[in-house]
Amino acid sequence: MTAVAIPMPRAARVRPKWLRGPSLIGICVIGLLTVVAITVPLWSPNDPLASVGPRLLGPSWKHLMGTDALGRDVFTRTLWGTRTSLPVAVVVIVSAVVIGTIIGGLAGFFGGWIDATLMRAVDVTMAFPPFLLAMAITASLGPGIRNALIAMVLVWWPIYARLLRAQVIAVKQREYVDSAYAIGASRWLVFRRYILPMAYTPILVNATMDLGQVVLLTASLSFIGLGAHPPSPEWGSMISEGADKNFYQWWIAASPGIAILLTVLAFNFVGDALRDSFDVKDTGR
Amino acid sequence: MPLLLLGIATIVFIVSRLTPADPLVSIVGERNLTNPVVVAAAKHQWGLDQSVFVQYLKYMQHLLQGDLGTSFSTRQPVVHDLSQRLPATMELTIVALVFGTGLGIALGILAARKRNTIIDHVARFFALIGSSMPNFWAGLLFLYIFYNRFHWLPGPGRLAARAKPPGHITGFFTIDSLLHGDFTTFKDSVLHLVLPASVLAWGVIGIVSRLVRASLLDEFSTEYVKVARAMGLRERTVVNAHALRNALLPTITIVGFLFAYLITQAVLVERIFSWPGVGSYAVTSSVKLDYPAIIGVTVLVGFAFLLTNLITDIVYAFADPRIRLS
Amino acid sequence: MNHIGQHHTLRHKRRVGRGLTAGALAASLFIAACSSSSKSVTPATSGATTTSAAATATTAAPTGGSTAGTTAGTTGGTTAGTTAGTTGTTTPAKVSDKALVIDRSMDINSLDPSVAYCDTCQIFLTAVYETLIGLDSDNKTLVPRLALKWESNTDQTEFTFHLNPKATFADGSPVTSADVKFSWERLKGLKGAASYLVATVKTIDTPDPETVKVTMSQPNSAFLAQVNASYLGIINMKAAVAQGATTDATTDKAGTWFQSNSAGSGPYTLESYQSGDSLKFKANDKYWGSPPTFPEVIMQQTDSAVTQRQQLESGDADIAMQISADVAKDMTSSDTVVKKVPSFNYVYLALSPGAKGGDKLTPTVREAIRDALDYQGLIDVTVSGAGLPQPSPIPNGFAGTEGLDPPKQDLAKAKQLMADAGVGNITLDATFPTLNVYGVDFSTAMQKVQTDLKAIGITLTLTPLELSVWATKIGSDGIPVTMLYFAPDHTDSSQYVQYFGLVPDSQWTTWTKQPVVKNETDLLNQAFAAQDATKRADLYNQLAKAMIADQVIIPVVNPNLFLASRSDIKGMHYSACCNLDLAKLSRG
Repeated sequence: MTAVAIPMPRAARVRPKWLRGPSLIGICVIGLLTVVAITVPLWSPNDPLASVGPRLLGPSWKHLMGTDALGRDVFTRTLWGTRTSLPVAVVVIVSAVVIGTIIGGLAGFFGGWIDATLMRAVDVTMAFPPFLLAMAITASLGPGIRNALIAMVLVWWPIYARLLRAQVIAVKQREYVDSAYAIGASRWLVFRRYILPMAYTPILVNATMDLGQVVLLTASLSFIGLGAHPPSPEWGSMISEGADKNFYQWWIAASPGIAILLTVLAFNFVGDALRDSFDVKDTGR
Repeated sequence: MPLLLLGIATIVFIVSRLTPADPLVSIVGERNLTNPVVVAAAKHQWGLDQSVFVQYLKYMQHLLQGDLGTSFSTRQPVVHDLSQRLPATMELTIVALVFGTGLGIALGILAARKRNTIIDHVARFFALIGSSMPNFWAGLLFLYIFYNRFHWLPGPGRLAARAKPPGHITGFFTIDSLLHGDFTTFKDSVLHLVLPASVLAWGVIGIVSRLVRASLLDEFSTEYVKVARAMGLRERTVVNAHALRNALLPTITIVGFLFAYLITQAVLVERIFSWPGVGSYAVTSSVKLDYPAIIGVTVLVGFAFLLTNLITDIVYAFADPRIRLS
Repeated sequence: MNHIGQHHTLRHKRRVGRGLTAGALAASLFIAACSSSSKSVTPATSGATTTSAAATATTAAPTGGSTAGTTAGTTGGTTAGTTAGTTGTTTPAKVSDKALVIDRSMDINSLDPSVAYCDTCQIFLTAVYETLIGLDSDNKTLVPRLALKWESNTDQTEFTFHLNPKATFADGSPVTSADVKFSWERLKGLKGAASYLVATVKTIDTPDPETVKVTMSQPNSAFLAQVNASYLGIINMKAAVAQGATTDATTDKAGTWFQSNSAGSGPYTLESYQSGDSLKFKANDKYWGSPPTFPEVIMQQTDSAVTQRQQLESGDADIAMQISADVAKDMTSSDTVVKKVPSFNYVYLALSPGAKGGDKLTPTVREAIRDALDYQGLIDVTVSGAGLPQPSPIPNGFAGTEGLDPPKQDLAKAKQLMADAGVGNITLDATFPTLNVYGVDFSTAMQKVQTDLKAIGITLTLTPLELSVWATKIGSDGIPVTMLYFAPDHTDSSQYVQYFGLVPDSQWTTWTKQPVVKNETDLLNQAFAAQDATKRADLYNQLAKAMIADQVIIPVVNPNLFLASRSDIKGMHYSACCNLDLAKLSRG
């Protein structure tokens, strides 16, 4: 007898939890911003540094968010702002994660006095209000995006150090780790193959949300003049320029303000969803 | 903890000495920088002519005696500057903390009870904006809407320009004016508090409401809640008398963190609202590279953080019977 | 959730809903109530100030009465000249019981009268420490103040001042020649930025308590104008010495005391100063002249022109000092008065060939920069056209500026000069202070300069720094391209040569690290020795041309000043020596 083809239902395709709803919007927004950041020089409506029209014009079809005090198109400058905010955020978080992982991993793994010393360093750094510390460091090194970046990395790494240390300690005690040692695995192997993969979840959640926080902090530092130099179209300094004209020409500050809000919201949406799906409790904060 | 404070002070000292700029300018004035006699006298007077190590020792010694040095820009002892400005920041921060936490808890309860309805989504969105919006921009926005445009609330400052501050008892204009029976000043100070405290409170609502919602939802899935509901207790009783007590524990834990978070957030908000507090002092000193002032503020705030953490631990121990009994 | 629970939840939902709406209604009602009465808060608080001011009013009455006899003689003699010049009437200014509130972005470096040097300091010093000679409102005529009359010898090397015997300090002690000697020697000895004004003073003799004889080390035709500068105000010697003041920078210890106290003879005294917040003056109820017109003057730190406008229109402030052209345009309320007047202030670009990184700034390149700037564009961008170009560091309206051609952009010539210079495309460090003065935002101005210079192949790297940090840099390494501002200290053109010219001890000779130009030094000395005003003007004209040829200082804009006040404030003016003389203001 010939086999009768039984139609099998296709495996139900369910989107993973973290890709639904607001999180999806968030990911799309971030994706869009990234694309803009990378490609805007190719299709930019105006030169962000050049005067393209009468000063202080309100929003119009020609200039979607009007022009600023020097006659530059505000919308174009806002788009170009992604080229500062996003890369800075990524570099800061990646650096902080790497440094934090190394230090936290070492501390958790070896324990003893190494742990004690490193954790004291972490405690002391975390005892400072992050913004104040970043402000003080940037002011000392001299205003500029590069120094602001260094300051932010110095402020952020302790969080990841603590996170990773907690994870390492938790995993270290599991039986399969003992078994791995028993069969002769080196400590580095154990760390790499067993401990790190378990630790990445909370790091991922925190990192996503922290990307948004770095964008906020960069803007805050630029707002008080410690970040990007003029005429660079950074969102925080644009708000500072617009604050003077406080809202008789509201578009100058509103455009970058909304941009920051959308970016940080997007990161928060994604981070929230990741946290819900991985069921991570916020630790170390 | 004292070791931690020592660490804090040392780090701040190092950071402030990293600077390539010379504070002497604000002391002697630009014209005098070329006059070696004047420069030498100033350096001696301000202790800048000794080696960095000696300066550090002197600084630690003074610190232990409670002397934070003299600010380069105001020429007053830093302790004096800080004590003048601390009540302003405290008033703002405490009001923001109380309202933010209160509203945050209420909103969190609402969101948890109406889970997955439109109310829940709106509440969560509102909270999320509080965590995502740059607060200096929010301050500008609020000023524009409520002061510039509609004149519903007064502008920057703690009091109207011509108003005399109430006699100093606590330094909190609200409390002091009440203690003096001066209701006009009380109303004035309260109105001036509304906008900056709202900006700060929004951030707190963002954190607290999401935490309360998550904790409550956790509690809702526990056995005892199921039993309570099965027994037919009213929902309100279930929530208020049973679930809330446990759900609020994490919130209590973070009150210390919230307070520290608020002090940080207050820095820029104080600037926008011309609030003469520690935050705006921190910004001005940082930008002017006024080391004693920077060190003073950071040590003070670091100390405050540690203190609030300690208090939180104690409060938590009281609130959670499991810890007490263990 | 079981059925029973749902039922209760429903009822509860409604209750929650009602509760929330009730709460929202209550909240909005409360805010509405408060805001409507917040309009009445100001009168209520001024009611509160009347009760406290009533106290000061009662104390003012006796002093008004006791000095009436003395002021009859003195006000007749001293202020007769001033009032005749100002209002043309002799009706005394009305004394208000409400404090005067001035919105200003303050730039105070110090409140020590021998160290202070800033625009806001001029206002402070004029109100608290009086000078021997005052300036009439035409900004030209000298009138008596602490000195009743004065003489000088023919070659301008000896000046004698006769003090008004009725003049007293705020503590009641008389102003004597010893105080004048102390004040000017301290100004010279502490070597603050204003000390250049008394640099040529050789000796000060005090033959009797009412006579001061000053001998100069060289002829100085500008001395009378310099005496008029607010920085030469007279300090109460006894009070200051008691706080550790000396005339030597290495021994003086009174700096901190002066930050919260004053020792002058003016109509106001220093009540309090909170840096970044407010400067408060209290009426001097022992003032020897006509009574101060306000019980208190409060200068509030307000950075934004827009906020200043809001406060002015709502009555929270009486005077707004930094209203910019953009903001002034829309101010049509009948409660406020905005008047545009020409000023002697200006913002300039400074090129320092001797600074680190400035070696490419050869004279040809500097001339190219001068020709490349879009002056009209700069004026439009910074002050919306409410300003003038200025050819030389001597401002429009001062002696020596007649017949000078305003600078004009000539891109073709600039490009040619750059080609001639043969330096190709160059990059220059342009660190500038983050200031916003006279309505000019330095960041905006520098960005425009950056765009203009890009067209001729010069790239500027803009670095904004806070003023004190900037000052360190320019005092040490120097800065190739930077920007600053200047307001006159007094009415004589010599100050501009002394500050900007390439002469010995000039600020910019030091900062640009350039050698001294002998021709300028000679011309300046000749100008100091010249007695005839026309001859002096001609010499300053030559000096102006010489400074233009130096190509280190390029004035960018001479902004107009907007005098903005409530319509009940009388006497608003702009003073060439003192910025704003509080004694000339009154309410009603």
